[in-house]
Amino acid sequence: MNQEQITKLERSIQNMKDKTSRIYFVVQDTKGNAKASIRYIYQMAMALKSEGYNPIILHEKPEYFGVSDWLGDTYMTELPHKAIEGSNLEISPDDLIVIPEIFGFVMDQITKLPCGKIVLCQAYDHIFETLQPGQTWSQLGFYKCITTSEKQKEYIGSVMRNISSSVITPVISDVFKKQEFPPKTIISIHTREHRDTVNLIKTFYSKFPQYRWITFRDMRGLSESEFANAMKESFVSVWVDPTSGFGTYPLESMKMGIPVIGLVPNLVPEWMNEDNGIWINNPNMLSDVIADVVQNWLEDNLNPTLYDEMEKTISNYTDLTKFNEEVVKTFSDMMDTRLSNFEDQLSKFITIE
Amino acid sequence: MKNKNTISVILPIKSAVSGFFEEYLNKAIESIKVQKEQFDELIIVHTNENLLTKVLSEFDFGDLNVKLESWTKTANFADQVNHGVSLATSNWISIFEFDDEYSNIWVKNVKNYMDIYPNVGAFLPIVVDVDDKGVFVGFTNEATFAANISEEMGVLTNETLHTYQNFQISGMVIKKDLFVEYGMIKSNFKLTFGYEFLLRMTQNSVKFMTVPRIGYKHSNLREGSIFWNYKNGDERLSEDEVKFWIDAAKKEYFFNTQREINYEPQEI
Repeated sequence: MNQEQITKLERSIQNMKDKTSRIYFVVQDTKGNAKASIRYIYQMAMALKSEGYNPIILHEKPEYFGVSDWLGDTYMTELPHKAIEGSNLEISPDDLIVIPEIFGFVMDQITKLPCGKIVLCQAYDHIFETLQPGQTWSQLGFYKCITTSEKQKEYIGSVMRNISSSVITPVISDVFKKQEFPPKTIISIHTREHRDTVNLIKTFYSKFPQYRWITFRDMRGLSESEFANAMKESFVSVWVDPTSGFGTYPLESMKMGIPVIGLVPNLVPEWMNEDNGIWINNPNMLSDVIADVVQNWLEDNLNPTLYDEMEKTISNYTDLTKFNEEVVKTFSDMMDTRLSNFEDQLSKFITIE
Repeated sequence: MKNKNTISVILPIKSAVSGFFEEYLNKAIESIKVQKEQFDELIIVHTNENLLTKVLSEFDFGDLNVKLESWTKTANFADQVNHGVSLATSNWISIFEFDDEYSNIWVKNVKNYMDIYPNVGAFLPIVVDVDDKGVFVGFTNEATFAANISEEMGVLTNETLHTYQNFQISGMVIKKDLFVEYGMIKSNFKLTFGYEFLLRMTQNSVKFMTVPRIGYKHSNLREGSIFWNYKNGDERLSEDEVKFWIDAAKKEYFFNTQREINYEPQEI
């Protein structure tokens, strides 16, 4: 061990103590579309920034659409942004890089980088999408994972060896508020595949022509405020996402006081219970259930317990302060562990010297 | 005048002779009794037909605030309604028919909407039309929510009425002063008196909103009813006359006062 290495180690230790170590968050460009997974990353970065850490948003290409349109300017102006392509990224051993599970190819490219690496897994079904057969995160140098629910943590533990996962529960945006005016005869619908939306609407109108005056609103491709404005006029929302990892859409709906008809996803969200929504297993029954809910709503017959339970459920996902604390604790614990490793290394080197 | 947002129900009745009158009336009155929030008065404007007078005098209205008003002139739905409205002590009125039923949530919902939308002059219920066996036939007034029908979802406009006529005024709750100021229901109209009324009110900028809840059950073409008579009974209308009354409604709604209008059959 030469003096130069010792100096580098000392510098890294000092950076970590000063919180100047960089924490890179890799994001995808949603081209202006609201995406809960991106909001989650920005919220984490902002939580760290406000506690004096040094988060940086890392996007693939220099032409980045940004999130101002749907998340507000603050996140764009307060948080530094850098492009992976075309910029000379400085990465030191004390830095951290947080990469969404979908960026398996990036993980592959940065295997040899000496920094700390964390997988951010919000959608468990994307884990293997960009990994080679048999490849695991730990083989790529990733031993830490942050995920959004205990269920996903459990799943990750079952498919990825040598990974230690932490759960940071997302919060639902303040944009989603209780409606001021009574809802209209609108059903908001969000499905993973667009064709499922089309099929469901056509099936519904075909089976129940008496309800052709009920409007469906496809919630795809809207900014967050457009999304909230569109949703607030609805009396019920429909959610079809079999591979959902968390279930942001139904929680946003509940936060606005709008009951949800949903297909139970393969990974049942931990917030889901038999009273806080209309949850079904058979996709072929969806149009019948929607018709039943429409009729009951028109007759003021939806169970009041449903609304009470929605309120109880959503109360666990609205506390931004708690979220910020969870973020800061998770990262500071990681930093502390890394710091003590660095200090151990340094003391060993100094002893040898 | 009573407190803000009180509703008088106006129930015109011509005859008790038609089949199952008492059965229908029982259901109709029961639907008023079981409201989650109450109407403020019920004004029945009835002819002096013996059987009808007897049935009404012996009828158990329970705790309802009922006025029985005898109508001695020629029976006419519109005239009887207009007379009932003139007697109403509430600031809102609702037109009712003895073979129909309110849903028990109607008053509760309409009063809620009155508070939220103070600039609305009339609220329409979503009407469930049933046949004489009580089987569902379809909805009425729901079209204000259909895509591309109205500029503002749920609001019935004059433009909409020109392209789509299937709206009905029974079960409607309307501000009494607007109803009176803009000419009430024209009694010399056949078939399209409700349509002409809606055209005229919307022409006078009365805002009509459909409450998106089932508020009313309507017996469609019950034997002996006004519209049954226009279709099948003594007052059966020819296709030409039907067209005449639709066209007449589209012309006469510009006039708030009732003008003389008569159908003259086309000579072939």
